[in-house]
Amino acid sequence: MRMAKNTYKTDEELDKPFSVKSLKRAFVYIKRYSGRMALALILSAIGAAVGYLAPMVTQNALDVAIPQGNVTMLLELVVLVAVLYALSILFFTVRQHIMVRVSQGIIYDIRKDLFAHLQKLPFSYYDSRPHGKILIRVVNYVNSVSDMLSNGLISIILEGFNLIFIIIFMFVVDVQLAGVVMCGVPVLAVFMFWIKNRQRKAWQVVSNKNSNLNAYLQENIVGARITQIFAREDENARIFEGLSKECRDSWTVAVRYSNLVWPGIDTISVCVRAAIFLFGILLFGAGNKSLGTIVAISGYASYFWQPIMNLGNIFNNFINNIAYLERIFETMDEPVEVDDAPDAHELAAIRGRVEFRNVSFSYEDDVEVLHDVSFTVEPGESVALVGPTGAGKSTIVNLISRFYDVDKGQILIDGDDISKVTLSSLRSQMGIMLQDSFIFTGTIEDNIRYGRLDATRDEIERVSEVVRAHEFISSMENGYDTVVTERGSSLSQGQRQLIAFARTLLSDPSILVLDEATSSIDVQTETALQQGLNAMLKGRTSFIIAHRLSTVRECDKIMYIDAGGIREMGTHKELLAKHGLYYDLYNAQID
Amino acid sequence: MKNYTTKEKITFLWKNMEGVRPLYILGLTGTVCYCALQLVVPYFSGRLVDTYLSGENAAENLAADRDGFFMLIALMVGLTIFRCIITYLDCMAYEFVSQETLYRIRNYLYDKIQRQDMTFYSTYRTGDLMTRMTGDLDAVRHMIAWVIRVIVESFSLYLSVAVYFFMMNPLMAISLLVISPLVFLVIVRFKNRVAPMHASLREKLAQMNSYAQENIAGNRVVKAFAREDHEKEKFDGANSDYRDTNIKTALVWQHYFPYMESFANLMPVVMLLVGGLFLIQGSLSMGEYVAFSGLIWAIANPMRMLGNIMNEFQRFSAAATKVMEIYFSEAIIKDKEDAKSHEEPFRGRIEFKNVSFRYFDGNLPVLYDVSFVAEPGETVAIMGETGCGKSSLIHLIPRFYEPTSGEVLIDGVDIRDYKLKDLRCHIGLATQDVLLYSDTIEGNIAYGDPHISHEVVVKYARYSSASDFIAHMPEGYETIVGERGVGLSGGQKQRISLARALAVKPSILILDDTTSAVDMETEKEIQQHLSELDFDCTKIIIAQRISTTKYADRILILKDGRITESGTYDELLAKKGYFYDLVRLQTGA
Repeated sequence: MRMAKNTYKTDEELDKPFSVKSLKRAFVYIKRYSGRMALALILSAIGAAVGYLAPMVTQNALDVAIPQGNVTMLLELVVLVAVLYALSILFFTVRQHIMVRVSQGIIYDIRKDLFAHLQKLPFSYYDSRPHGKILIRVVNYVNSVSDMLSNGLISIILEGFNLIFIIIFMFVVDVQLAGVVMCGVPVLAVFMFWIKNRQRKAWQVVSNKNSNLNAYLQENIVGARITQIFAREDENARIFEGLSKECRDSWTVAVRYSNLVWPGIDTISVCVRAAIFLFGILLFGAGNKSLGTIVAISGYASYFWQPIMNLGNIFNNFINNIAYLERIFETMDEPVEVDDAPDAHELAAIRGRVEFRNVSFSYEDDVEVLHDVSFTVEPGESVALVGPTGAGKSTIVNLISRFYDVDKGQILIDGDDISKVTLSSLRSQMGIMLQDSFIFTGTIEDNIRYGRLDATRDEIERVSEVVRAHEFISSMENGYDTVVTERGSSLSQGQRQLIAFARTLLSDPSILVLDEATSSIDVQTETALQQGLNAMLKGRTSFIIAHRLSTVRECDKIMYIDAGGIREMGTHKELLAKHGLYYDLYNAQID
Repeated sequence: MKNYTTKEKITFLWKNMEGVRPLYILGLTGTVCYCALQLVVPYFSGRLVDTYLSGENAAENLAADRDGFFMLIALMVGLTIFRCIITYLDCMAYEFVSQETLYRIRNYLYDKIQRQDMTFYSTYRTGDLMTRMTGDLDAVRHMIAWVIRVIVESFSLYLSVAVYFFMMNPLMAISLLVISPLVFLVIVRFKNRVAPMHASLREKLAQMNSYAQENIAGNRVVKAFAREDHEKEKFDGANSDYRDTNIKTALVWQHYFPYMESFANLMPVVMLLVGGLFLIQGSLSMGEYVAFSGLIWAIANPMRMLGNIMNEFQRFSAAATKVMEIYFSEAIIKDKEDAKSHEEPFRGRIEFKNVSFRYFDGNLPVLYDVSFVAEPGETVAIMGETGCGKSSLIHLIPRFYEPTSGEVLIDGVDIRDYKLKDLRCHIGLATQDVLLYSDTIEGNIAYGDPHISHEVVVKYARYSSASDFIAHMPEGYETIVGERGVGLSGGQKQRISLARALAVKPSILILDDTTSAVDMETEKEIQQHLSELDFDCTKIIIAQRISTTKYADRILILKDGRITESGTYDELLAKKGYFYDLVRLQTGA
């Protein structure tokens, strides 16, 4: 039995250290929009350039038009400035129109791929962690990374160019003073490097704590009834407060670093400006450097630090969100244990011969659940699997549906190895009803239709009659249009099972697998159901796991499963005559 | 759904800031301070440049007054660092206050949710509640940590510069500031259009959340029906809906953005036009012009921010409505004001007196006029067809639902007179739909009383015949089981849930078909154990199997919500009714 790895109490460890790989992968998503992003970048660059022209025109007005008292020229220049600003706004607006779509497109794509990958992941993935931790990745984490991947990238490029231009300018004006300005850079680098690691770790903690809280919350919403019956509200509130406190505290620690970036850069920048003044005047001597140069350089220095501050903000955002991005890619990298073989073919229409050839299987490496199991079921036979709980009955039927791959041996349907056929062609021909009769939020009709999406209302009602669900459904106020919810609605467990049963039958399966499908249904309803079922499934192979021997008795073949294999096999009569395990089991129920 | 006014929403925030309000006010004051410093520092650096570097007598000044020069540099650096420190501390104060408030609201909401009755859980989908507890709460946090701060920042910058401008040159000031009120015209229109967008955006997020949540919970069904593509398609619907609504909302902002930006950029243009004319006229000095244009950003930026602020405010507003809806919701089933404490165990007499019941969303009664008594220590078995009302009946005992008429009494007292906590903590219920927590097996069994010792856990595992298979697991009682216990077989889960119910030593034990997935032999064993428990309790057992009811003192047959047969095993056999048929069917006799 595979056991869970993670609970709400345990932080998820990130398997891989941060690498540039995560970023490279993010580029896959950005690339799809590269054309539009390039356009947005060009628009931004033009917009910025036009924006820079405005102060120059203003300067011209101040230097020429105003001292001359030339009102006409002043008005002309004012109009020019206004036009330049208008153009700049226009470019920026168009850019935003593009980028809104790009950034939403990117998160849509990531979410789509993440969800698609989740559909391929095995049961064990879902079994080994709280569902709240999966959910938070699909919804909240993906939302967090959108801005960083779209606008963040454009800003980095723009500010980067800005920076390069200004550096070149400064060096053209005065190499020595430019050198002074650049002195701030190593200080900044050390500062950023110091902060980066702490910041990244701190935000990882935040994401972990949020994930834990989410996990606990989701479990408790789903399990509210259990909480209430055990009057555990106070204890749960205490645990929740603890988790909530961890979220609060980890956040406060993380922002301690994040909030340092901006004031840090600001401080370095003002020191550099002061240094220019001091160096310019004291060391180089007033005569050496013209005062004009010093003023110019100090002006450029503030131009130089502005993009750096912007980059600092982007960097901050980036570090905060990289923790989420890593989690998203981690999920996308989860191995798909059971997948179509590269050369998989469609399974032809199933006639129903099922063969196990020396099948061994274990969920975990050391504990073998099935050992060297072989049997054949002919088309149209019904097979009952009985035996103690946990003996491997469910495992056998799970293997037929290829929910897991066998470790050794082969499973063949009509002589075709199921590991060589496509999963969808296999499973769509099988009707599998599991112990957990999960009902989706929606109408009863929609829930039954899940079995075959193109079924008509008539077909749905007919199949409901067969499973004896029609009566209670039609007695409801809205009948088949009654909206039911995942949990907490007024359907009884038995009624849920009947709906799930109808859903399975509707899919018109060639092989039917019933895993404790009727455990919550009363015996009389079940007997009536069985009769309808027999008529409907004539000639189809079925596997039935049940404890109630009234269900088992009628089957063509009964297998007694225990200790990793088939201990007894035969008809009800044969097995009774044997006076073995089945005989004991039967008597236990009779007396 | 109730719609809260903006004032109510802000009051709600304020109320939840209790204890951190002084800090918040200090934070707001800090914001005003660093805004002021933002204006003061450029003044000193301006003077530095004017006096010692670029002014007419710069070289002489520099030579003559080195101390003044150093003084100004020190002031410039010192004040900037001072401003940085204030900014940093101020930001931290906002973060602290917002986290503290978030912490308080989140805990309160959690407690509110977990004490809600079943009607609530039928109304709200899990994904919707999750959205309220994550995305919506984050919008509330953002309001405290960022939106309000930026509002204060913008207004204090704007106002202080406006005053300064007036002091310098009223005419010039008026010509600049006269445009500002126009911004509000745009803002109001923007607000009216964007508010419903945020409400709808938030709905789409909740839908996507609900959808993903159910897909994860129902992953087995999805695989069983090979419906992956169908699921992807459905999710794609929610995903693209969310994307499109996001784009639409952003485009509303983009629609108004050019106007807002134009107003902001009008400032330097007007500055040049009017300032230029005034300069030519001579009613404005060059020094004043430089001072004006040096501070023009402090007027323009707040105008620029206004749209952003409004956008974020509407996001908060939509989210706050959702948060407050839960915050102020009241469970229908709750303690009466004069509810009685009952900390000691019940004797265990259960009486149903003419109980009828109907679900809030159903039109047909589920139970009609049900009356029966279970004496202390008795075992009463309830049987009947699927959907006959068995589970509904037992759910009335811990008050998951209230009868529509009639009353349920324990030890002769109407259960509505007990405190819910006291009532429920003496009831052990093991449901058929087993839900375990992602915790160790031991943690799950000790759920009702986390302080019991390992030995006690083992004892109850033995009572429910779970100790053997648990012992066989690699990590025994320390094995972590998944949410809903998915690593375990149905029968194993049921036995753990039984042990969990027993471990609270309830005076009333209710088993709702708890052994349906357990094999016969084990079930027999469990029956045996249940009759040998080391505490007294009345047992109500729902079962499908005849064998389960064998030990019962009384068997009730429920049909369409009414008790049709009642008596001991032999009495009912003799009646040759439903029970008789059942026995024949099951034993094949």
